[in-house]
Amino acid sequence: MAQFINTAFNALSLSSIILLTSLGLAITFGLMRVINMSHGEFLMIGAYMTYVVQEIFVKFFPESIFSLYYFVALIAAFGVTFILGAVMEKFVISRLYGREIDSLLATWGISIILQQAARTIFGMQGVNVQVPAVLNGGITIGKCTFSYNRLFILMLVVFCMVLVWYIMYRSNFGKQMRAVMQNRAMAQCMGINSRKVDMITFAFGSGLAGLAGCSVALLGSIDSTVGQSYIVNSFIAVVLGGVGRLAGTVFGSGIIGFSSIGIENYTSASIAKAVVLLIIIIVLQFRPQGLFTMKSRSLDE
Amino acid sequence: MLKIKNMDAYYGESRMIPSLNMEVEKGKIVCLIGRNGVGKSTTLKSIMGLVKTPSGSITLDGEELMRMPTYNRVKQGIGYVPQGRDIFPQMTVYENLMLGIYASGRKGGLPPYIYELFPILEKFEKRRGGDLSGGQQQQLAIARALVTEPKILILDEPTEGIQPSVIRDIGNVIRRINQELGLTVLIVEQYLEFVLGISDYLYLMEKGEIMLQGETHLLDAQEVQDKMTH
Repeated sequence: MAQFINTAFNALSLSSIILLTSLGLAITFGLMRVINMSHGEFLMIGAYMTYVVQEIFVKFFPESIFSLYYFVALIAAFGVTFILGAVMEKFVISRLYGREIDSLLATWGISIILQQAARTIFGMQGVNVQVPAVLNGGITIGKCTFSYNRLFILMLVVFCMVLVWYIMYRSNFGKQMRAVMQNRAMAQCMGINSRKVDMITFAFGSGLAGLAGCSVALLGSIDSTVGQSYIVNSFIAVVLGGVGRLAGTVFGSGIIGFSSIGIENYTSASIAKAVVLLIIIIVLQFRPQGLFTMKSRSLDE
Repeated sequence: MLKIKNMDAYYGESRMIPSLNMEVEKGKIVCLIGRNGVGKSTTLKSIMGLVKTPSGSITLDGEELMRMPTYNRVKQGIGYVPQGRDIFPQMTVYENLMLGIYASGRKGGLPPYIYELFPILEKFEKRRGGDLSGGQQQQLAIARALVTEPKILILDEPTEGIQPSVIRDIGNVIRRINQELGLTVLIVEQYLEFVLGISDYLYLMEKGEIMLQGETHLLDAQEVQDKMTH
């Protein structure tokens, strides 16, 4: 039983990490249909921001408030990647709408530049962040241990989901954003400044990547390839769930997370990876639009 | 009020409209008629900035619109009801209507005359736009354009695919908008009877050029009919 609960918790934790790294992508790729190959590098920047904020705290602030660094880092990671996303949208992406191949190549180039920049600034060696004291350890119930940092990531995912949902479906900006994504020309005819909406939407998706980067910094060492290791799963989660559907991304992440850990339990990590990819190939054979597709006559555009 | 001078309009790479001249006088209902594919819709899209217009001029109350992006033209006072309505299907009727207010950054709710003109929309406020019938969507599209507080309302085939009784309602609403709200109206249509009943001034277009124009009551309906069908 304890074994089972542990496995389930690990699976949930992995799903939540995949979901967190996919949320930004669900917006930039899912909603805006921009293939941003450098999305993983925004995650990397978020992770490095955590390290930078930590170093600043070590140098300039008294040790008593050191633990607070992580919460400052969360905001800094989001802020920096948000601004970088906005700049990138303005100067690169906005010129390439409707040209998928071109934007794929351009963003891939940016990805390589950012990785090299990270190596130049922080060196080839990975850097580590110290898990803040409040997140050290875990709760033990019976024979099961739930580590605080994984629980924290779970909470962060829930928070981000609520934030994304609120912005998309409840805020006035979100309504304009959905209008632009559904029918750009008509949204403009309602007086909506679609360029501004595009820029903020892309920046927001990038900011979420930064936030995800900040949380994966808790899990292991940070180097220039950290983004790459997460981005593949994220793309799979978004495509599997159905491009353009937030709920789809949640389920996509869950399927990958649970099946990876579940299969890994009985076989090995590499077999698990192969089996998961196989499952995805089969699913997409039968449901090429992903698991969650919009089914209504309202989509007969 | 709205003046188009020597405007070229392209659809993709091909020139649909060579050097168009047109004028819509303030407070009038003006119709642009013609058969399928002669460039009527393209003319409206040019006014909105949705197609390429490399040369010429479009002015609204003397303000040049040519270089403005679509959303700024709307802010200058053009309300657009496109062909096929283009309702946002996933959004509720209320959300569709409020978009114009969100976009302008204005505070507050819908102006009261919206639901007064279109009582059906108040009833269906919470329904999704995609679930409305064609006639209801048309009303929503007109109402939604009014929310942007236009000086001139332009409509692309408002009677297309709509049953006769609803066409009558829509005609009445357009007349009320014109008389009670004082809006200038430009309509693109193929349905001649509707046009003759509602318009003050008429342009007949053929292959991107204006073949005939004049005040509706001075034109010979038979002649217009012949030109439409020959």
